[in-house]
Amino acid sequence: MSLPLRILLPGLLFGGLAFLALRMDAEGGPSRQLAFALLTGAALGIVLQRARFCFLCNLRDLVEARDPRGVLSILAALAAGLVGYFVIFGMWLPVPAADRLPPTAHIGPVSAALAIGALAFGVGMAIAGSCISAHIYRLGEGNLASVFALGGAFIGFILGFLSWNNLFLADLATGPVIWLPHHLGYAGALAVSLTALAALALLALWYGRATPAQPVHQAGAGAALKSLLVTRWPPIVGGVLVGVIGTFAYLRFAPLGVTSQLGSWARKAASNAQVLPDTLYSLDTFRGCATAIGEALLSPNGYLISGLVLGSLAAALASGQFALAVPSLGQIARNVVGGILMGWGAMIALGCTIGVLLSGIQAGALAGWVFLVVCTTGAVITLFVRRRLSA
Amino acid sequence: MSLKSWLGGAVLALSASVPALAADGPLVSADWVQKNLDNPKVRIFEVSVDPGVYERGHIPGAVNIRWHTDLVDPVRRDIASEENFEKLLGAAGVDKDTTIVLYGDNNNWFAAWGAWIFDVYGQGDRVKLLDGGRKLWEAKGLPLDSSVPSHKETKVDVPAADTSLRARFPDVLKVAEGEDKATKLVDIRGPKEFSGEILAPEGIKELSVRAGHIPTAVNFPWGKAVNEDGTFKSKEDLQKAFAEIGIDGKQPVITYCRIGERSSHTWFALAKILGYDVKNYDGSWTEYGNAVGVPITNLAGTVWQGK
Repeated sequence: MSLPLRILLPGLLFGGLAFLALRMDAEGGPSRQLAFALLTGAALGIVLQRARFCFLCNLRDLVEARDPRGVLSILAALAAGLVGYFVIFGMWLPVPAADRLPPTAHIGPVSAALAIGALAFGVGMAIAGSCISAHIYRLGEGNLASVFALGGAFIGFILGFLSWNNLFLADLATGPVIWLPHHLGYAGALAVSLTALAALALLALWYGRATPAQPVHQAGAGAALKSLLVTRWPPIVGGVLVGVIGTFAYLRFAPLGVTSQLGSWARKAASNAQVLPDTLYSLDTFRGCATAIGEALLSPNGYLISGLVLGSLAAALASGQFALAVPSLGQIARNVVGGILMGWGAMIALGCTIGVLLSGIQAGALAGWVFLVVCTTGAVITLFVRRRLSA
Repeated sequence: MSLKSWLGGAVLALSASVPALAADGPLVSADWVQKNLDNPKVRIFEVSVDPGVYERGHIPGAVNIRWHTDLVDPVRRDIASEENFEKLLGAAGVDKDTTIVLYGDNNNWFAAWGAWIFDVYGQGDRVKLLDGGRKLWEAKGLPLDSSVPSHKETKVDVPAADTSLRARFPDVLKVAEGEDKATKLVDIRGPKEFSGEILAPEGIKELSVRAGHIPTAVNFPWGKAVNEDGTFKSKEDLQKAFAEIGIDGKQPVITYCRIGERSSHTWFALAKILGYDVKNYDGSWTEYGNAVGVPITNLAGTVWQGK
């Protein structure tokens, strides 16, 4: 793509986003929040694209190429968000009393169903090449294969709704909601979580090889612009930014999550087609990525996702990384299968790598840690099997 | 903001430029609240039902009341116990001479429920509702704060619950069966719930296995009592609107809805603004519509089929 286009197109996109957001803001009332969600999504899309913040790719970099930077990026996002969330908690809920939870934070129940969902998600993302959030930002990079992964996730969600009542009665109903500050206090929960993240960082560094030193950028506006718009952002910077954006999102409207709108559409479609049971037991009372059917076409989460795709698109265009990639049949099949597993897992676990792993751990939820461990295990094993099969 | 509501706001601002604390009547304007934010003799309470609304920003200094646990008994279906209610006021530092202002999300429905509970526990005329509630405060772009205030605890002693403000099932049944001919029932649900065409409003789970309304009730959808911006209509307009359905203050009234919160809003208009003799029936249609062997008026004839 020519240089003028690489400047013009993102400029037009940002202009359009700004126009939309200002118009919604001027409407006042609930639209103000939607405008904020749209812009938060755009910011997230830019950061995910520029830092290549993708759970599976980062994990694969470490496991297969022994490059620890991506995993450190995820750990930085968790650490930054933890601090941000706890700053907010201290204000909203000065004492973490036993019968109270901070409002809307993704603190879900810990259950065998959560572990099974996380496992399915981990296997699914290793088959589909990335998790749901990464497929969403890849849409913005022109990766058409992601459409199939998201379509698969849509089907997976419907399958999840169909299995929900049985899993709820068998296990989920009695799964304890474990919020670390209830047991350790704010200081204790923060200290334990940060220590665990530090331990994981040391593990990643120990396993990984030393990475080549980043080239020292030359001074000057051109070089600065290049490192901003073209070169991959330093992973730690990207991670910290994801943590900061997550904190802002929680402060202003809701914890970050990327499956709420998708799940809600799937639920609406399935419910209109009359394949869903009339009642999904207690589903809408759990903390996590809510899938309740809304009246409006787009929920706040829908605005976040729209912003995410547009932000990523603008960033990809500016960096010259936008390329319409037509997938092969094999790729389509893998993405659909992986997508179904991810959709099913995200439905059962009440969120994905963003909604449960990121927003859960940041909120001090044990469920987030369970998701982290099980999902990573599932993904690593699947990556290993895939390598063996293709060898 | 339209010119009309801007003018309305300006008029309000002018009329409220009297010294702080001169709040006669049951309503206070957003302007009045703004002027009294630092007044130690005014305590503001937010009664919102949506989670996270209060925490993400409330009127500066406002104390949070959680409707589902603070104003009702979380186990039996009942209003909060006297003891818990006293604790709630004490923790908020309410004194004998404190003016209490309530407001909330969802058109002030649950704040009005709160005002009713405050009245049941004898708090009387010192309890005010912020006219227009949270919606108007936000629409005007007035400041919000997200820190939780801490107040010096006080010892509060409230009188026993005044049962004359609360209609119970037998009271309502007496009216329905014609034993009590004096009392008028006002059903403030939507016309389609009233007629029995639907069992519950859109997006709400059906909670009654019968459709329709309590015999002799007249329908007055709660929204008819408010202006477009959510503020109550003027006393004169309210008087006229209620007179049209035969409610003129000469006979006792019982208001009800589905679970008793929207009817608190109408209770507030009738009892507090117009000064009529009104009870709120908090059992409402979810109690009456499930009761066995009671008369029902079901104009649409909808039969409950468990779906």
